[in-house]
Formats: sequence, C-alpha cells, structure tokens
Amino acid sequence: MAAAKRKRDAPAARPKKRAKGVPSAPEPGAEPGPAGAEYSIPPPVSQGKWKNKERVLIFSSRGINFRTRHLMQDLRTLMPHSKADTKMDRKDQLFVINEVCEMKNCNKCIFFEAKKKQDLYMWLSNTPQGPSAKFLVQNVHTLAELKMTGNCLRGSRPLLSFDPTFDKEPHYALLKELFIQIFSTPQYHPKSQPFVDHVFTFTITDERIWFRNYQIIEEDASLVEIGPRFVLNLIKIFQGSFGGPTLYENPHYQSPNMVSSFVFVFLSWFKPSQQLSTTQPLTHFPHPVGWGRKSGKKK
Amino acid sequence: MARRGSLSDSGSDSGSEDSSLSDSELQEAFSRGALKPGLNVVLEERPKRRNDADGLRQCLSELKQQLAWVERLDVTSGQVVDPASQSASSKDAVDPENDFQREMSFYRQAQAAVLEALPRLRKLQIPTRRPDDYFAEMAKSDQQMQKIRQKLKSKQEAMERSERAKQLRAMRKYGKKVQTEILQRRQKEKKNMLNAVKKYQKGLSDKLDFLDEEQTSSQGNKNGSASQRIKKGPNAKRRYKNQKFGFGGKKKGSKWNTKESFNDVSSFRSKVAHNKGPGKSGKGGKKALNKRPGKRARQKMKSRAR
Repeated sequence: MAAAKRKRDAPAARPKKRAKGVPSAPEPGAEPGPAGAEYSIPPPVSQGKWKNKERVLIFSSRGINFRTRHLMQDLRTLMPHSKADTKMDRKDQLFVINEVCEMKNCNKCIFFEAKKKQDLYMWLSNTPQGPSAKFLVQNVHTLAELKMTGNCLRGSRPLLSFDPTFDKEPHYALLKELFIQIFSTPQYHPKSQPFVDHVFTFTITDERIWFRNYQIIEEDASLVEIGPRFVLNLIKIFQGSFGGPTLYENPHYQSPNMVSSFVFVFLSWFKPSQQLSTTQPLTHFPHPVGWGRKSGKKK
Repeated sequence: MARRGSLSDSGSDSGSEDSSLSDSELQEAFSRGALKPGLNVVLEERPKRRNDADGLRQCLSELKQQLAWVERLDVTSGQVVDPASQSASSKDAVDPENDFQREMSFYRQAQAAVLEALPRLRKLQIPTRRPDDYFAEMAKSDQQMQKIRQKLKSKQEAMERSERAKQLRAMRKYGKKVQTEILQRRQKEKKNMLNAVKKYQKGLSDKLDFLDEEQTSSQGNKNGSASQRIKKGPNAKRRYKNQKFGFGGKKKGSKWNTKESFNDVSSFRSKVAHNKGPGKSGKGGKKALNKRPGKRARQKMKSRAR
C-alpha cells in the first residue's frame, strides 16, 4: 500500500521495477504512454494469474569453496522462483533435505555438496516423491567473470534450449523434464520480469551435459554469453527424492577418486619408488629402475 | 553366479576356492571340459550398471505436468545450419576438446532455439524487446558492467598499441634500408666520377663526358688518337683489374689471386695459352693485339700519348 501511495507522486514515465507494486506483464510498453494522462493504483503483479506454483530450494552443504558459493548466488539471482537456506551439516542424512524443503514450501531442490574441498556434487530433485539425480559439477565459471559480457534483467524468464539427444534416451528425457520444471520461471511470478531476453542451453557432448546462458540482443538471434556456465556429469538417477532405488547409473562416469588414483599409479610407473616409511627399518635398498645389469658387464 | 577364471601359471588347489559346489560336481564339470587345470579363482563380476528404462518412463509420466508451452518455454532443436561451415549432421563430429568448435555448436543451438521460439512468443504476445525507457534491476550490477567494459577497452588498447609499435618498427626498418641504398648509390657515383677523372688525367681518354650527368659506357670514338693501341688502352685483363681495384690507394694483396679467382678457369683459352691460335705464324699474321709490349715500349707509348 505504501508503495502504491508513493508512486502516486512520482512521475510514471520511468517505471522502476522492484519486487512488488509493479505494472504487470502483458503490455509494459503501453504503460508509459497513458500513465501521464491519469493515474490508477497498479494492480498486483500477477493479477491472479500466477498458477504454476513452482519453488526451488537452492542451498549447499558445508565446506564449499568460493566458486561454488558464487555459483549458488548466481543461480538464485537468475531464478526468481528460488529460495535460499542455510548450510546443511554433513552429519545429517540426505533425506533430511526433504523435510527442509517441506518446511520452506518448496517442491524442487538444488543441493550442492562439496567433498574433500575439491569435488562438487549437485543434486536435482523433485522433493515430495519424485525422482532425483546426482551430478558431478565441473568447469564452473560464474557471472562475475569478466569474459562474459552479456547482461539480462534480474528475474526475467528464460528460454530453455535442449539438444535433440535429450529425446532419444529415457534417462535423458527424464532429466530434460526435471530441468524444465526447475529452471523455467513460472509466468506471472511476482518477482519475475515480463520479458524473455535470455536463453539457457543444455547440450550433451562427450557424455556430459553442458550448461550455457546467453543474452538475446537482437531479434535475428545474435547472442552474447552472460554466464554462469558449468558441466554436469551424471552419476545416478534415483526413483525417490534423495534416496530410493536406483533407476539409472551412468556407465561413463568415473569418480574423481578413481581418476586421481589412476593418475597416481600411472605416474609411479616412471619414477622409482622412493617413498620409504620412516618407521620401517631399512632391510634392503630399493632397486632403482633402469639398472638391469651389473655395471662391469658390457653386452 | 560367480564365473570361474583360471590363471596362467599353474597353481595347486582349486577345491578350497568354491565351497558351494561339491567335489562330485567339480569332477563332472572337469570331465566335461568346463574346467581348465590350474588355479581357479572366483572372479568379481563387474557390477552391472542399472538402467531401468521402464522405471524411468514411469517416473517421467508421473513427473510430467500438463502445462502450456508458455509456462515452460522449452525448445528442442538442432543447430542452425551454417552454410559456411560444416553441415549440422556432422555435429557428432564436434570434438569436445576443441573449445572453439564446441562453443560454436552451443551458440548455434541457442540461435536455432531463439529463432524458433521468437515467432511463437510474438504470437502469444509476450514481449521480447525491452523498451528503451524501461529501467529495471539487471542480473549484473552496473559496477560489474563497467568493469567488463574497462577490461575490453584496455585489451583493445593494448592490441592497438602493439600493432602501432610493430608498424613503426617495420617502417623504420624499411626507411633504413632505403637510406643505405641511397648512400651506396651515391658512393658508387662518386667512385665512378673519380675514376673517370683519373683516367682523363692519365690520358687514357680525352673525353670530358664525365662532367655531364649521363655516364654511358665508352663508345667507339675514332678520332683524336693516332695509335689504335691507345684507343683500346690497356688490354681487357688490365682494364678489368684497373676497374676493380682502381688507381692508387691499393691495398696490399688486392691484385693477388683469391681462391675463387684461382679456381675460375672460364677465361682460359687453350689456343691462346698454348700459342696455337689461328692467325699465328702459320698463317703469317701477327697477333699484335695479344702480344703485350715490354716495359720500355709501354713507357714510351705512355709518354708519347701525353
């Protein structure tokens, strides 16, 4: 109410949009025109049209690094239908998240989990009963990076673009549906802007899902990247939310532990093993690699 | 069910490995040939990756919401076919390691989606263009955009600066080349002029053509000298050496042979060398031109010509 009263005095030629009290969706271009003539209390934004009550809870576990934190903040900025929550302790089991979502009245969830201060896992879930998926996140670039020069309205609705590969496999189709429901901003959401000026792309390359966000500059589809960008490596799809029977396991997924141990073994082929534990008594000298015969004996 | 594998080196007992099968069964299997001699171990079967396609489809049908397209705004499309580059069917050949190609493929996919979606949005009267006077909060703050603009500007300036520096360097190099050429040409002219003056002084040529601008090669001028000898002046070898090394100011070894000149036998005329040419004593003619007069005779000739 106070906001509406204040607006009465201000010139309405430049509608400055804040969270509420805004002229609503369908004809924003027409608004500056007749506003000069007579003034009426602007109706609530959604005008009762907001039907799709989708809410996404975005939060993380403890031990995330700055990049993950920024990524989370960026997602919250880009998705006006998201809610934030405090960090969850790693001690709690994952199904506690379902209760947290229920308390916040959210029906979707994005949960970031950081392990060993290096690996970042992301859970996407439909909270009461639906499926959930776990991903390994790689190659994170946030909104703040200076190479990405585009910009978009805060809270504007995105266009979602998918690879045709998403329709070919049942697990990809399920993921596509999950992405659509999580990332698309409901129409007439009170915090949303009525314009469609950016596009999220999900592409499948190299058995991974690549996410990009572009700003639409011109009507002829010239695009500039806004960010953030990340790569999702699917691990598993579960039937329940944060639990339940496994519906799909990605055969191409290799856990970061396996990768690093493989690298370690591979590298140790080239170096003679020099690590001797200090507690063990030295019973024999380690045989250096490359000395096959006694030095005196020539071929 | 555990599979049985056998190691290559022969081991000892195999019976204790599977306690689930009795000895008689093992014997039967062996007689059939299903077992190979050696150590039979129970191999861990690779855990099968679960792929419950029916469960996935059922989940999908449960998850699906009956929403109008305008709520979801999703587009599934291939890429914009770029006539300049490869066709869209070779998208599978996009090398994920090649960053530029990969990003271009994402870009084209986004473009295709936008081109498909914009007409639909226009039909549904959803605006896509922001009016110029519509100011609202943006995803990135103005400060951030300023930083981005600064960075772009500084990069561009650095590039321009380096371009200018390169051009300057190239121009300087070219200028220096031109200048050295000019200097060399001037020195050559000076040298020629001096030679001509010296020749005139020594009386070998009484033309004063060198005073003119044009220096043409000496033409056959028949008047002014009695002896044909003086017309020709010294012989060709002499003239060559005089031209190469000039008069006066000789360096010590400048008329000695060098390796190249020693090895150069192009001017060897065997008939001349062995004195066997035509027009020799056999014909009765005297090759006065090839015979070099002695020192005294030469001096006389010189003094006579002065």
